[in-house]
This record gives sequence, C-alpha cells and structure tokens, in this order.
Amino acid sequence: MNPRGAPAPLDIECPRESDVLDALASSRWPHRVDAELSNHVASCAICRDVITVAAAIQADHDDAWREANVPSSGQMWWRAEMRARQDAIRHAARPVNVAQGVAAVFALALAGVAAWFAWPSLHSLFSAIAPGGDAQTTTFASPLFIPIAIAMGAFLVLAPVAIYFVMSEK
Amino acid sequence: MFSRELTVSDLERLDRIATAAVEALQMDEDTFRAFYDRTARQVWAYLARITGDRSLADDLLQESYYRFLRAERAFASESHRRNYLFRIATNLAHDRHRRGRGVINVPVPDENAPGALADGRDLAAETAQRTDLARAMATLKPREREMLWLAYAQGSSHEEIAESLGLRKSSIKILLFRARRRLAAALGGQS
Repeated sequence: MNPRGAPAPLDIECPRESDVLDALASSRWPHRVDAELSNHVASCAICRDVITVAAAIQADHDDAWREANVPSSGQMWWRAEMRARQDAIRHAARPVNVAQGVAAVFALALAGVAAWFAWPSLHSLFSAIAPGGDAQTTTFASPLFIPIAIAMGAFLVLAPVAIYFVMSEK
Repeated sequence: MFSRELTVSDLERLDRIATAAVEALQMDEDTFRAFYDRTARQVWAYLARITGDRSLADDLLQESYYRFLRAERAFASESHRRNYLFRIATNLAHDRHRRGRGVINVPVPDENAPGALADGRDLAAETAQRTDLARAMATLKPREREMLWLAYAQGSSHEEIAESLGLRKSSIKILLFRARRRLAAALGGQS
C-alpha cells in the first residue's frame, strides 16, 4: 500500500473494494459518494476495475432477472417427481434386461451346438426326402438320431418356458 | 429382445419402487417449492449469462434442480444448499461446453422480454451496453465468467465462490483479480 491509500502495483486487492461495491449496490456511485472515495477510485487501478466490471455485471444481472421466465415451482416439482419415478423403474428393469440377454445368448448357443451334433442325421433325412434322393441308402438307424431328435424337440418346447421363468419375478 | 406382459404383481412392485424413489428426493414438496422460488431466477440468470444461450439455460435449469433433488446429501445451511445447486449448474454448463454447444453467443437483447426497458430507459444505450458486456464476457474463459458473475451479480463471498465452483478458497482471490482485469480491459476500462 502506498502513502496515498492506493495499493502497490503488485497488490491484487484493495481494502476499499467493499466500500466501492457498497456504493454501487446502493446506487450512490458516482454522484452521491464522498469526495474521499471518489479520489481513491481515481487513484486506484483495482477499484477502477471493480467499478467498471461490477457496474456492467450488475446492470446485466438486473436485465437477466427481468428476462427470466422460469417454470413455476409446482411444475418443476411435478416434473422431477415423474422423472424420479421413470428413472427408478428403468433402473429396476435393468437386471431383467441383462437376464433376457443372457438367456437369449444361451439359447442360441445351445441351438447351435444341437444343430452341429444333429447335422449328420439331418443331412441323411434331407437326402432321403429330397426328389431323387436314395431313400434306400438313407440311414435313420444312426445310433444318435433318436436321442438327438428327442433333445431338439425337448429344447424347442422347454426353451421358451425357461426363458419365461428367467424373466419372471423371483 | 424378448418382451412379456406385466402382471399385477409387476405393476405393484414397480409402483413401490417409484414411490420409494420419490420419497428419497432431497426435500419434501413444500420445502423444495420455497427453495426454488428463492433461487430459480438467480440460477437461470447465471446459466443464461455463462452460456450465452437462453434456451440452453432453460434446459440446464431443470436438470440442475432435478440432480439437486436426487443428491444424497445433508446441508448445514441454506447457503451450503444454494452453493451446491450452483455447483451442479456450473458442472452441467461445463459438460455442455465440452460437448461443443457451449460456444458463448452474444445474446441480442429481447425487446419483448417481460419488463425489458419498461421504465423508459434508452433502448439504444441499454442494448449497446449489454452487447458490449456479452462480447467482453465471450472473450473470457468459462471459469472466469462464472467467477465474475458469482462475485458481482450474486454478491458471493470468496468462500461461496470456491464452494460453488469446486475450487480452493485460497486461489479465488488471484483468479478473481485476473478475471476482473481481463474483463475491465475488454470493456475498455483501465487495467
């Protein structure tokens, strides 16, 4: 601080800032402040910046306040309540969606494995029933044919039931 | 993906979950409405001026209050509660800024806005002053705009600014000084 009350060039605040802001907030600046404060501001770079910036921002704040067209508190509460409900339900449904995905992937994998095992028998069957196929040479007597056919039939019946139970509560 | 019909027990369970979510909100309705009525215009003005976009301010206002209501926090005072709300609003504005929508616009004063110049002030002078400020603010960093608005529009203390912006109180003094000097220079004042 120098002898005239203004801060030294490297100071970043001035002890009179609050007086300046008070004068501005109470609309006393610039015409109804005492000469001592006016003289101080004239000699203090920090307070001049404070006046320049605070006056502009406070005027803009008053304009913004008049412009503000905010929803009513009742509307805001209602929207928040609705959104909280929706978010909670979405959150609760998330594990079910994961279970559905797992069940679907599992069912597809199972179907793929079954098809891979059953392919020789199915190939023989298609050859037998295809036009020009040699029914005589087609073998239904493959030792795996019957168990695989039963397994596939059971899978087709039980897979939807299993998926239903996975998706059900509990 | 598979879908199924909801049973009555499903609906009851979801209703219980939704009711619990509403009960878990930060405040009851009356407390919230009183708090909102005290703060909403301040928050809107803050958002409108730091983003330079009124419609974005509308969106962020709603999001700010919703997140505030969902916050699982206890507040020691009204001031802490208010600072936390401003912090949420600030973070949302930063998110939008990062996503590219936050390029600050120079807002053109709306002559049809409620109350605008209703007291017969000089329209040309008012418009020029606001445009100058908006242009000058647009040259600042988001953090500087926020700090200056909180300090000189809201009258927040350094401690409140630090809490609202998530900064250390000890750094506010120098950051505010720099921001003020830059804005004053941009406005054509002495710096």
